Amino acid sequence: MQVMILFAVLVLTYLMVIAKRVPALIRGFRFQSLFLFLATGLAAFKEKQMELYFISGLILLVKFFLIPHFLNLTARKIKVDENLGLLVNPQLSLICALALTYCSWVLSGNLGFGQRPLQLAAVSVAFSVIFIGAFLMISRMRAFTQVIGILVMENGIFLFASAVTGGMPFFVEIAIFLDVFISVLIMGIFVYRINKLFTHIDVNKLSQLKG
Amino acid sequence: MTIFFILGIPLLLALAALVVRKKDVFGAVNSAGYLIVLCLSSGLLRQAVFLKRDIACFSFIYLDALSVFFIFVISVVAFASALYSIGYLKREMGRGVISEKKAGAYYLFFNLFCCSMFFVPAVNNLGMLWVAIEMTTLISALLVGFYNKKESVEAAWKYIIICSVGIIFALLGTILFSYAFAISGLSKSLNWSDMAPVAHILDKNILKAAFIFILVGYGTKAGLAPMHTWLPDAHSQAVAPISALLSGVLLKTAIYAILRFGIIVIKGVGFAYFAHLMILLGVISLIVSSGFILVQKDLKRLLAYSSIEHIGIISIGFGLGTPLAIAGALFHIFNHAVTKSLMFFGAGNIVNVYREHNMNVIRGVIKALPFTGIMVLLGCFALAGLPPFSIFFSEIMIIIAAFTSSSYLVAGLLLLFLAVIFAAFIYHFGKMLFGNIPNEMKAGGEPLSGKMAFLFLFSLVCVSGALLIYAGKDLIWLAQKLFQV
Repeated sequence: MQVMILFAVLVLTYLMVIAKRVPALIRGFRFQSLFLFLATGLAAFKEKQMELYFISGLILLVKFFLIPHFLNLTARKIKVDENLGLLVNPQLSLICALALTYCSWVLSGNLGFGQRPLQLAAVSVAFSVIFIGAFLMISRMRAFTQVIGILVMENGIFLFASAVTGGMPFFVEIAIFLDVFISVLIMGIFVYRINKLFTHIDVNKLSQLKG
Repeated sequence: MTIFFILGIPLLLALAALVVRKKDVFGAVNSAGYLIVLCLSSGLLRQAVFLKRDIACFSFIYLDALSVFFIFVISVVAFASALYSIGYLKREMGRGVISEKKAGAYYLFFNLFCCSMFFVPAVNNLGMLWVAIEMTTLISALLVGFYNKKESVEAAWKYIIICSVGIIFALLGTILFSYAFAISGLSKSLNWSDMAPVAHILDKNILKAAFIFILVGYGTKAGLAPMHTWLPDAHSQAVAPISALLSGVLLKTAIYAILRFGIIVIKGVGFAYFAHLMILLGVISLIVSSGFILVQKDLKRLLAYSSIEHIGIISIGFGLGTPLAIAGALFHIFNHAVTKSLMFFGAGNIVNVYREHNMNVIRGVIKALPFTGIMVLLGCFALAGLPPFSIFFSEIMIIIAAFTSSSYLVAGLLLLFLAVIFAAFIYHFGKMLFGNIPNEMKAGGEPLSGKMAFLFLFSLVCVSGALLIYAGKDLIWLAQKLFQV
């Protein structure tokens, strides 16, 4: 079951890499969060921990409903054009993503996660989600995509924490959720302002400050 | 108990900023609040450094001499900045650049920003440390983009994106630290006070990898060289009192985080690993910043690159690791915070009158703004490291330590780049301060609160060198204790 969920998370990340339109990207993030919710809920059911139930509920609320909804709202408000500003085309991106996955598998082996196969798989998937999130940010030159890249990286971190130490302490987890939510709100404000002042959200063209 | 007041007063002031209508009255209340915070934190400093007592409240807050020292530095700059904000905002409101409502928003974010910075050294839990540092980024991004112009929004966007990504790697490092702690068979915890005493039994390889992530993550926030790209933009576009806070203390809170993890790594892996990384990043910062300082045209960017230089010096100081070098680095943190705030206030006044960032256009500051001009001249000497001022003492401590620990290469590079930067500073500021004022300019008065902020900081710049004679022993004690838990 857990392997299935990990597999789904990875596939959704690849789908985000080859996505060509903003709504598809947001949908990818939404379903990735859904699978994180399933994974946490499963762990909560197995270990019968109240706190884990609470956290999985929070994932569903914040990452499945609130954040994607807010992103969709902003996208509609600024009438974001469908184009993502790809610096690297989807096919090449997918190859890069596969290479990153291999690297994360090697890295997690080297860090000494090789003893338990399930943990090794989870850590590799987590690392690849983090690295692919970073890759999305670098290779897609729209302000909007960068926000989603950060969120994908954050999902990877969450997966990593739960795979490695069974999650962070309860109140830290809550604080991080709050933090992510506030950061999305503030980035949303700035995307809106960039669009208003520059009449585009192409980050490549933000080049007034130099030297 | 005092710490709750230090954390609570900024929060209360933030709430008050929402309610109070008259903003110039509120400015005075704000400064009074930070004066109280300053008094309380010096009380804490006395307790922790001079009487040598650690303070722990539940498991959530843990204060030792190191964290109290940082709280003290933050409170000094926050007080000066609150004082300077009164006159600055009044002038901006008078010119109609910002509305009364926007001034309220300014005070709200100012206080939240200070509060989040006070949280960083106070919390014990390393996860909460991360949350507090990320919070400082989010709130200060709003202050960087405060003017809502093209440049400031661009700077704020770069700031928030680069720092958020950087800091995600720091979270990865934090989780690896807690993993190292978890597999050592001890109970699950992220508290620094639980981890540090058992650091020597943690897995070495994991600690090494984790520290790289920490250094990349928090190093981005600290402005260490290859990851510094957000810093000149954000510092030059922020509101002037906020530039002082960003450069004076925000960078230092990231250094604090690196030190906290560094202490665990030193105990677990050995000193050489930590030292090499810190010295490497420090030297790169010096090289990069000195180049940009030489060819700089923008006044506030010049000061921003100088912050990168000083962060580099601080990181070299910690990397050398002898008690003298660490004492120098700690002392330098304080000196740089004070001097750089003074310079940013001066730059704020200059930019306000000339409406211009470009140093080739600004001429005759001493004639146009006699008080600010003289303060900036003295501050420029202090920042470049001339003897009677405090930065000279901390820099010489680090250089002596480099020679005595026979790191001749580091000492040589440090001296070389300090000389280059000294020359560049005198050249840039000499051109700006002297000469004739442009014809259409008229000399403007300076508000009293602004002058008070200058005098407060300047007295610290002059006095803290002498303070060394009085408190030198305690500083060395703090430095000795720092890396050996």
